[in-house]
This record gives sequence, structure tokens and C-alpha cells, in this order.
Amino acid sequence: MNLLNLNFSLIFDPLSQFFVFLILLVSIPCAVYSIGYLKHHYSSKKILLAWFLLVLFVGSMLMVVTVSNALLFLIFWEIMSLVSFFFVVFDTEDKKSIKAGILYIIMTHLGTAFIVFSFLLMFKYANSFDYYAIKQACLLMPAHTKNVVFLFLLIGFGTKAGIVPVHIWLPYAHPQAPSHISGIMSGVMIKTAVYGIIRFIIYILGADTLWWGNLILILASISCLIGIMYALIENDIKKLLAYSSVENMGIILFGVGASMVFISKGLPVLAVLALSAGLYHLINHGIFKSLLFLGAGSVYKATGLRNIEKLGGLIKPMPFTAVSFLIGSMAISALPPLNGFASEWLTLQVLFNGALNCSGAQAIAMCFYAAVLAITGGLAAACFVKAFGVTFLGLPRSEPARQAREVPPLMYYPMFFLSALIVIFGLFSAQIFKSLNRISQSLYGVNESTYNFSSGSFVITPVNTLSCAGLSIPFIAVMLIAIMVMVYLAVRIFAGPGKVTRDRTWSCGYYKIDSRNAYTGTAFSKPFRIAFSFFYRTSRKTEEIKSSYYHVKSIKYKTSITPVFKKYIYDLIYKRTFYAAKYLSKFQSGSIHFYIACIFMAIVFLILFMNRF
Amino acid sequence: MNLLVIIIFVLTLMLVLSKRTVALINGFMLQSFCLFVLALTRAVWAKDSELYVVAALILLLKVGLIPYFLRWMVKKIKIDDNLGLSINPMLSLVIAVLLSFFSYLFAERIMGLQNKPDVAAFSVSLSVILIGIFIMVFRMKAVAQVIGLLVIENGSFLTAVALCGSIPFFVEIAIFFDIFVFAIILGIFIFRINKLFTHIDIDKLKTLRG
Repeated sequence: MNLLNLNFSLIFDPLSQFFVFLILLVSIPCAVYSIGYLKHHYSSKKILLAWFLLVLFVGSMLMVVTVSNALLFLIFWEIMSLVSFFFVVFDTEDKKSIKAGILYIIMTHLGTAFIVFSFLLMFKYANSFDYYAIKQACLLMPAHTKNVVFLFLLIGFGTKAGIVPVHIWLPYAHPQAPSHISGIMSGVMIKTAVYGIIRFIIYILGADTLWWGNLILILASISCLIGIMYALIENDIKKLLAYSSVENMGIILFGVGASMVFISKGLPVLAVLALSAGLYHLINHGIFKSLLFLGAGSVYKATGLRNIEKLGGLIKPMPFTAVSFLIGSMAISALPPLNGFASEWLTLQVLFNGALNCSGAQAIAMCFYAAVLAITGGLAAACFVKAFGVTFLGLPRSEPARQAREVPPLMYYPMFFLSALIVIFGLFSAQIFKSLNRISQSLYGVNESTYNFSSGSFVITPVNTLSCAGLSIPFIAVMLIAIMVMVYLAVRIFAGPGKVTRDRTWSCGYYKIDSRNAYTGTAFSKPFRIAFSFFYRTSRKTEEIKSSYYHVKSIKYKTSITPVFKKYIYDLIYKRTFYAAKYLSKFQSGSIHFYIACIFMAIVFLILFMNRF
Repeated sequence: MNLLVIIIFVLTLMLVLSKRTVALINGFMLQSFCLFVLALTRAVWAKDSELYVVAALILLLKVGLIPYFLRWMVKKIKIDDNLGLSINPMLSLVIAVLLSFFSYLFAERIMGLQNKPDVAAFSVSLSVILIGIFIMVFRMKAVAQVIGLLVIENGSFLTAVALCGSIPFFVEIAIFFDIFVFAIILGIFIFRINKLFTHIDIDKLKTLRG
């Protein structure tokens, strides 16, 4: 086979179209945002570099989701990883960036190694890297080989997607990139891993083994819970958003995994529904996560701070940013009538329907997954109450926060655009879900009108046979507005116009109050730290400096959690590796001359004694 | 053809004899130039358009850019010009001649006595490779390691051109870019060594061992 004569043809089936649409939908506002964000922040040379890398980044992502050849896929996948690595280390002066970048590049290459291996396994059977040929060959592949290929693909793409326990790079790498890139990385790049899972596991490999789907569902549950639990206690706003990405990837994988379970159980209707729900949450997360990252970037641009403990009260100087951030937070907390609600509701419906249609252990497992998803939703809401409340409400807690100014229009218009998308994707969920259905149907090769999950153009009805649940987001929106108007009128009628006392925020009329009285992020997450102490393994340290027995001059309070995965998995590997390296270094002389001399001797030896062998 | 091969052989011996860094670089440049002429004559003779490109690349990279870069680097880091020989020139020459004798024996054994010119070309290219390794082993300064490896590459190219006409075009191009990137990376590496240890004597790298 001539490797240089690659088939450069692209595929534009509905799945690829969907991802191309998502990439452009998120990247373009982020690119516009970067005009304002990069200005005055970097030198003009570096801005030029940032634009060059951005074009390369978006281009490589577009190619990843459209090429029809596994080898080309790998090449563009690698370009995408490398360019995003350069973005992670974009602030070259920051030691943290370099460290995060190294961790990222190690993890992503580990993942790519697994993908390469699985591709080579598939190549062995197909003798071609073309998707279609591989798909044909996979029908003849023995089951255990299929299992190996599946596991390798899952590890490979899971690393990119940030599934626990290989999520370790994500919360370090995403916050270190410039904010518009964090938005693209969290909003789009990690979604290409989901594309990989759908394309290679569901479409090419054919998800016909039951435990595959269940494995993905279990990993999704773990990712959801652990992602949101870490997000909840995080005080760095961008890191918080990055952890929340881990959680949302879990929710997306709930849809994908459930779809695989249903296919192997022979329930194509539910499989289509589940995959559509996953894709719906995927695009929704792309929109609101990039919006939130842009909001965090605006806050960083205005104050130079990422620690929410030092922010506060930003709603007054930065109203536009605050409103956009609020809409994003509401969407990610799955509040109706926004888009996050629609997709999380659908995912829950998928799991409930799964529990109804399956039997035995599978039904119980489905209930368990649904419970995990529900608790995740609750924690996510708490997390974003904290993120928004501590950052934008109350009183400013530091000098930069006091002097914050609204960002230039080029930065808040993209955020408005994304906020509008959130509302649109919520209100028109029925139509959007219909088109998502077409994607999943084409993927599974079914095309029937019975697979219609919406009645009329405003109501989603997941499955009309067993549960008669339906959801109409416009109706909810109208009801919410009506209730608000009624409450307002009732207050006006019964309480009268009343006299308004204006006072400082959260002061309750008390005369002397300052920002130190406000609720902090650490304090907000305290109940969760106590409730989940078995997982966080909190350690506290209080230090009092007293001038006399009765008078305490100052108190220092320090709290920290044990990063379980880092400590018990990665540090262990790290330690063992270094131990082994130290042991092996006894065999090394360290002299380059000696090493070359060994080669030299070997060659001379071979030349002299050639005829003996 | 044969004349060029012999010139290359003499130049290689000159590399062994050179005591100074600049002399080493100059020797390499001359050797590469001969290689260029060789490739060009081959190209004209075989009317091979790909070989023209290869010859042009030799001229550009090995005669032009890499020696220029190395010279610039030597000037920049201001090391003393001594290569740090661990075997003196005369003994080195004796060893080099011995090495070429071995390679002649080897070439003869493989190809037989009937085609003398080919045996000569093959033994010369083999001894160029061996002498390249010799330079890498018995010269202390890091620049010598770079030149040594480039000489090895020249030797393998000579083998290919002298015996088979040419290597597949893409392989050749890939090797060229490899070599170029290699020279630059090692150049940067030498800078770093110089900064860290204030000299580029790679024997001292032993201290890096954990």
C-alpha cells in the first residue's frame, strides 16, 4: 500500500455536519472576543501568533471531524493537540503554565498512543485506513479483539474528553490558556473526543456488547460526581469552570453510553433518543461553557484576578458581563426555560425510559445513573450560585475589584450572542431536537417516522408508548413570566408603593459594614465540605495571634482538601517511575562518548566478522 | 566519478587530522561540496530530475546553511578553538587508515573482486561512516559530535549514490530535513550546555547522571 497516496476525501454525513456547525458556532464568537481580549494584554507579535494558532486550531478541529481516513484523523488530531498545548503555555513567563502544559502534553500523548494502537489493530483486519473499509472489516473481527480495540479507544478518547480518572490534566490546562481559547478548548475541543467515541465505537466498531455501554455509563457517573464536587469547592473561577466541564462531559456520555446499551438490547428507538439527548447536551454545553469562560476572561481582563475570594460586587461596574454570566450559570444549572434544562431533562428521561424498558440489574443500574444525574444537577446549581454570587454580588473584596470597569463592546457582544443562543436553544428545543434526531437516525441507519419525539413544533415527547411525559419549554417560559408578573402585581396591590430605603448590599440596615462581612466562596462551600468529607478528606488549620489571653489580634484559617486521584494514583505512578529510573541509572555511565563507542565497536565487530555469520 | 570519491576520502582523512573546530567545519563543508558535485554529475548522467533537487538541497543545506550556522554558533559562544582530542592526530590517522582497510576488506568480501570501481566507492563510503563515528567518539567538544553525525550521513548518502544511483526521493527529502532540524536542535543544545557548564566539553555531562 502506498502511504503517500492517501485518500483526502472528506465526509459530510449528518454527524460531521453537526460537529462542523458546533465548532464554527462556538469558535467565531470566541475569535471576535479575542480581538478585545488580546489587546493591551500581549505584544503585537504575540497577538499575531495567537491568531495564527487560532486559525490552525479551528482548522485542525474541522479536519478532525470531517476526514474519512483514520491516518489523516490521527494527523489532524495531533495538530489539534499540539496547537492547544502551545496555547496552554502561551503565558511563557508563568511557571504554572509550563507545568500545566507538560502535564497536558504527556496525558494527551498517552491518550493518542492508545488511539494509534487501536487504529493499527483495526488496520490489521481492514488493510486500509478508510472508515468504510474499517467498518466492513469490523464485522469480521473476533469478539476479544473488538473488546481490546474498544478499551483502547475509550482510554484514548477518554483522556481527551477528561473522563475521571484520566481527567487530571484538564483542570490545570484549560485555565492556563487565554480565556477565548479556554472557551474553545472546553466548549469544542474536548467534544471532538465525543465525536471520536461516536464515530469509532458506535459507527465503525458497532456497539453490540452490553458491558461497553455500561462501562461508559459508570465512567460518566463517576465523572459527573467527581467533576462537580471539585468544582464546588474550587475558588479559582476558571478552574471551577474546567472541573464543571468534567461534569458536563459525564452528562454527555450518559446519553452516548445509554444509546450503546439500548442498541445492544435491541431498542433502536431509545438508542436514537439517547444519542440525540447526548448530542443536544453536547451543543448546549459548548455554548454555555464558552460563554462562561468568556465571562471569566472579562473578569480577568478587568481585574487581573481569577480568585473569586478577591472579587465581588462586579455586577455594578460590569453589568453586561454579569448578565451574560448569569444566563450562562442558569443554563449550566439546568434552570428552565434555558437550553441546559432541556437537555438534562431529556437525559433523565432517557435513563428513566431505560429503567422501564430493561429488566433486572440493568433497570436498577439505570435508576442509579438517573439518581447520580439528579444529584449532579443539584450540586451544579449550588456550584454556580457560588460562582456567580461570590464574583458579582456583595461588596468588592480587593482593590482591583473595586476599580473594575466594563470591558470593551467587542468583548461583550460575543457574550450577548452566546446568551441569545442559549435562549434560542431553550425555546426552540423541539425543532432542534427533531434535527438532532435525524443525525442519530442516520448514524444508526434507521429512517422512520415513528422515531418522532416531538408533537407539534413546541413540545418534546420522548417516547409515547410507556411514559407520557412531555416538555414544552416555550410554555414554561410563558408560565414563568406570567407568575412573575402576577407576583409583582400582587406585591404592588397589597403592599402598595411603599417607601424604598436604599442601602449598601447585604447590610440589612446595619450602619457600618464592609466586604469582610460578606459571604466568601470558601464559606459557601463549607456545608458541602462537611457533607462530603469522606471524599474531600479535608484538613483544617487555625492559627490565632493573641496580644493577651482575651484579645485575639488576628486569626488565620487554612483549609485544604486531599486531591484523591492525584495522591493515590498519579503520585504513586510518578514515584515508582522515578524509583525505577534511579535503579536503572546504575547501569548508565552518562558519557556520550562511551555510548557512541559501543555502537562503533558493534559496527567494527560486524564488519570484521561478517563472513562468520 | 572515481576522482570525486578519492577526493572525498582524502577530505575525510583531513577531518581526522584537524585540531580546530573551524577546520572541522570547513572540512565538512568541502566534503559536502564534493558530494554535491557527485550528485550533480550523476543527475546529468542519468537525466534524473529528482537527483537535481537532491543536489540542490545538498548545496543549500550541507554546504550553505549548516556550516554557516555552526560557524556562527562557534563565534557566538566564544569557546577556545581546540577540539579536545583524546587521541592525537597522527595516531588518529593511523586508526582511520586501519578502519578504511577494514572497510575495504568488507567491501571486497561482499562484492567480489570483479568490479573494482564499485568496491572502491563502497569501501570509501563505509570508511567515511566509520570515521564519522570515530570523530564522535574521540573528540571532546560537542560541535564535533554534530559534525561527526553529519559526516556519517554524508557517508550513507555516498553509499546510496555510488552503489544504487539514489535513494527514493521522499526518503532523501525526509533525511535532509531531519539533518537540518538535528543540526539546529543540537546547536541550541550546545548553547544550553555552554550556559550551564560554561564549556561545551560533553565529557562533563557525566555529572548529570542522577
